[in-house]
Amino acid sequence: MTNNATLSEATTRSRLVGILVHVLLIGASIAMIYPLLWMLSASFRPENEIFSSASLIPSSFSLRSYIEGWNGLPVSFGRFFSNSFLVAILCVIGNVFSCSLAAFAFARLDFRGRRVFFALMLMTLMLPYHVTLIPQYVLFRGLGWVNTFLPLVVPKFLAVDAFFIFLMVQFFRGIPKELDEAAMMDGCSPWRIYWKVIMPLSMPVLATASIFTFIWTWDDFLGPLIYLNDMEQYTAMLGLRTFVDSTGVSNFGGLFAMSVLSLVPVFGFFLVFQKLLIEGIATTGMKR
Amino acid sequence: MVRGKARPWYASAEGAGYLFLLPWGIGFLCLSLGPILWSLYLSFTDFDLLTAPDWVGTANYVRMFTADAKFMTSVRVTFVYVLFSVPLKLVFALVVAILLNRGIRGLPLYRALFYLPSLLGASVAIAILWRQLFAGNGLVNQFLAQFGIEGPSWISNPNYSLWTLIVLAVWQFGSPMIVFLAGLRQIPADVYEAAQIDGASRWRQFVRITVPLLTPVIFFNAIIQTIDAFKTFTPAFIISNGSGGPVNSLLFYTLYLYQEAFGYFRMGYASALAWVLLIIIALFTAFAFLTSRYWVHYDE
Amino acid sequence: MINHIGRRQFMQIAGLTAVTAGLSSNIAHAAADRLRLIFWGGQARADKTGQASAIFADKTGIAVQNEFLSWNDYWTKLATQIAGGNAPDVVQMDYRYITEYASRNAIAPLDEFVGQQLNLDDFDEDQIQGGSVDGKLYGISLGANSMACVYNTVILEKAGIELPQGGFTYDQLYEYADLFKQAGLPKGISVITDSSGNEQVLESWLRQRKKALYTADGKLAFDADDATEWFIMWSKLRDAGVCVSAEDTALGTGPMESSMLVTGKAAIQTDNSNLLVAYQALMQDPLALAPFPLIAADATGGQYRKPSMFFSIATSSRAKAEAAKFLSFFVNDLEAAKVLGTERGIPCSEAVREALAPTLTPLERASLEYVSSLGDILGPIPPSPPTAAGEINQSVLANISQQVAFGMQKPDDAGPDLVQQANELLSRS
Repeated sequence: MTNNATLSEATTRSRLVGILVHVLLIGASIAMIYPLLWMLSASFRPENEIFSSASLIPSSFSLRSYIEGWNGLPVSFGRFFSNSFLVAILCVIGNVFSCSLAAFAFARLDFRGRRVFFALMLMTLMLPYHVTLIPQYVLFRGLGWVNTFLPLVVPKFLAVDAFFIFLMVQFFRGIPKELDEAAMMDGCSPWRIYWKVIMPLSMPVLATASIFTFIWTWDDFLGPLIYLNDMEQYTAMLGLRTFVDSTGVSNFGGLFAMSVLSLVPVFGFFLVFQKLLIEGIATTGMKR
Repeated sequence: MVRGKARPWYASAEGAGYLFLLPWGIGFLCLSLGPILWSLYLSFTDFDLLTAPDWVGTANYVRMFTADAKFMTSVRVTFVYVLFSVPLKLVFALVVAILLNRGIRGLPLYRALFYLPSLLGASVAIAILWRQLFAGNGLVNQFLAQFGIEGPSWISNPNYSLWTLIVLAVWQFGSPMIVFLAGLRQIPADVYEAAQIDGASRWRQFVRITVPLLTPVIFFNAIIQTIDAFKTFTPAFIISNGSGGPVNSLLFYTLYLYQEAFGYFRMGYASALAWVLLIIIALFTAFAFLTSRYWVHYDE
Repeated sequence: MINHIGRRQFMQIAGLTAVTAGLSSNIAHAAADRLRLIFWGGQARADKTGQASAIFADKTGIAVQNEFLSWNDYWTKLATQIAGGNAPDVVQMDYRYITEYASRNAIAPLDEFVGQQLNLDDFDEDQIQGGSVDGKLYGISLGANSMACVYNTVILEKAGIELPQGGFTYDQLYEYADLFKQAGLPKGISVITDSSGNEQVLESWLRQRKKALYTADGKLAFDADDATEWFIMWSKLRDAGVCVSAEDTALGTGPMESSMLVTGKAAIQTDNSNLLVAYQALMQDPLALAPFPLIAADATGGQYRKPSMFFSIATSSRAKAEAAKFLSFFVNDLEAAKVLGTERGIPCSEAVREALAPTLTPLERASLEYVSSLGDILGPIPPSPPTAAGEINQSVLANISQQVAFGMQKPDDAGPDLVQQANELLSRS
């Protein structure tokens, strides 16, 4: 039993530690997001002040960059955003579905050639994408898919993102094996084990995969650049890139304003799904 | 292994394994294997993208290792980058993840703030932001000036420019942080409860419980970040405006590869470069997997 | 949530996307009532080009689908499209790349259309020559320009400097630097950008010495001594604080907004004359044009009129005749000319120039007059450069000049190094 004096001493100390942690975190957050604050303030500045002024507070607030950025291209940025959204959501569905299937096989099932397949899968991560760009383009052109979203979306349903398979494998392997062995004893098929045992226990990693897929698809420009010709189909990232051209006058105000706006959906997606990431474990009530 | 006699073939582990792998298998055969083999073939040819490839045997590889100073430069730049950015980023991500995994008030907000820089990805805006920070009259030097230090133009001086990209990589530590967090969330709370009853200190809990149970995730992050770092392209491309300068100090391997392929129409040579990189990364990865059984703990 | 979306729903969603995406895709691009055009540039250029395309569609019934990208993205996409057999009919070409694309048969010779669909009757002879590779016409110049020093008149005025009408010499730069100091201009402003890695300034310097970058048969037309002298000259300018420091110069490689002129690090920027308008749009201080520095007050022939960019026709195009018609329209049609202005350079047709003259802004007129008033400084257009020229410029000259500027290589070694590396690349391709 501890007496009251040392108890209150301990709470004071832990409160002090708590404050210290907060001070550290706040300081670190400000340092972390300073460049982003600069970008935010640049998006409200008059265009000629963007590069000349070092202070964070603009001399005058103006929404001109937002208006010009949104409507400055022949197609409105709203269209780019909805395109990005559609592509990103489809990619999330595709990745979560197809990668978890493959990861389950690698993590939990025993079959001939598993190690070889796994090594081959990892290999697809290692080859720089610039050399596979052209054969893939030739293939998709042969299928008549150029200038549609299909080359951006369909591969996700075929688990080409080895990153996510590998990620899920690592997490699935962390789930106690007794659970599936017990289910197997009860006569569950592998499919049922995947669906009823593994998936519910894997909310954190599925949420992680969803967040990453959404953000990376949103941020990707090479795929859209190569496959989309028609501005009506451009994604937000591709739209952003047309603001800056090194051979003429660029629209930096529009670039910053639309960059800020394009952070909003990904940030929102992150906020929503991080909840899932954190809650996941509590809802499963995983016990050993 | 329990196998029911009456079960159809696809319910057996063997059959089910292939069935589960089917989507991946189709994708691999159509979208990955073809391009990979094609690039292997091209690496033995002279191919300018616009006319048919010419077989040249091993000439590309011979040139790379005997007559190409830029290749060596790009290897050096990339190795320095991998060597420093990967461990720094991982340590940073793990520390922050552990801090954020404690019951701190305002946790979701901190987590989101720390993740914000990674959301920016490799947008063109990064190039300008980094210039604002690391140019001669940038914010970093304005800060240093208060202590009477006159800093160089970090981003445009070949002695320091690579470090600004390493800082960028560490700044965008969000992805491994999230993976660490997910891993931490998957450690059941009752393990800690048991340890607390045994009177184990925080540090002891960290070393004895957190780290071992987190090793699969640490392993994953280390491998992925290393592969990614070897393949880093976009930051170097946008910050150096595609040139790899000043004085090739930002000539990353894949940037050199890109220049050869799309700038100077040597796709054959670029494919050979790609295969050498693949072998370098594969060696690293194989080494990691071989040693992993001594330090990565799976629940099996 | 995600887990509950079944296979069927997925197929529905995927099917829906396929349909919506298919609606706007261009299935029949090969049909002759439709052309695809791709170019690099910003929004201003895209607007003008779009308007001109619309006029073309009105007059001929041939729709032109425009696509524009930034310079960096452009070449990746174009190369991929050509390699994938899906090149647009009309592609914008750069002086630096035209030999490459022509010699690899990616763009088609246009000679068979000249006098038919393609009217070049009153087109400037040197611009036709500039678009020719090995005697065949591969690109229609969209505008002529010349190399120029774009300078800040306010700063030079403050220092009491009036640039001589016929151009200033490299030696005079030292005097200007003194005048800058006497006038009490801030230390951060240099007289001129460090142009030791600028291929065009080097070329002009060599031409004044009656040499050149390349011979007609694609060899180097200068030797190691010339190159060494070049690097020594710039090292002296740099050491004397006449030109911008190495660190600052390396910052100026991106968009025009980060150039030394716009950021106020230099009063004189070496560039192309058609960019005067773009630079002025970024700055308050009035700007003007002067020729590149001279080796002596009476030096001649350093500059030439060069095509700013071309339109070419892809070899894979199945509508070459229509594409040729579009090219002809783009450089000859007076209505189109009024829309296009001098955004891509000075128009190459005499009739267009005359029609355009009254509509020009003072700045546009200044760049037009600059190009036409160069006098003796103007020489003939050089033969088309060899295939490796682009790489020698971007990867060898730029790199060696930076090495010298940062003190990592002596100017005495840089000359032979440049020549040796350039020769290696020339013999490789």
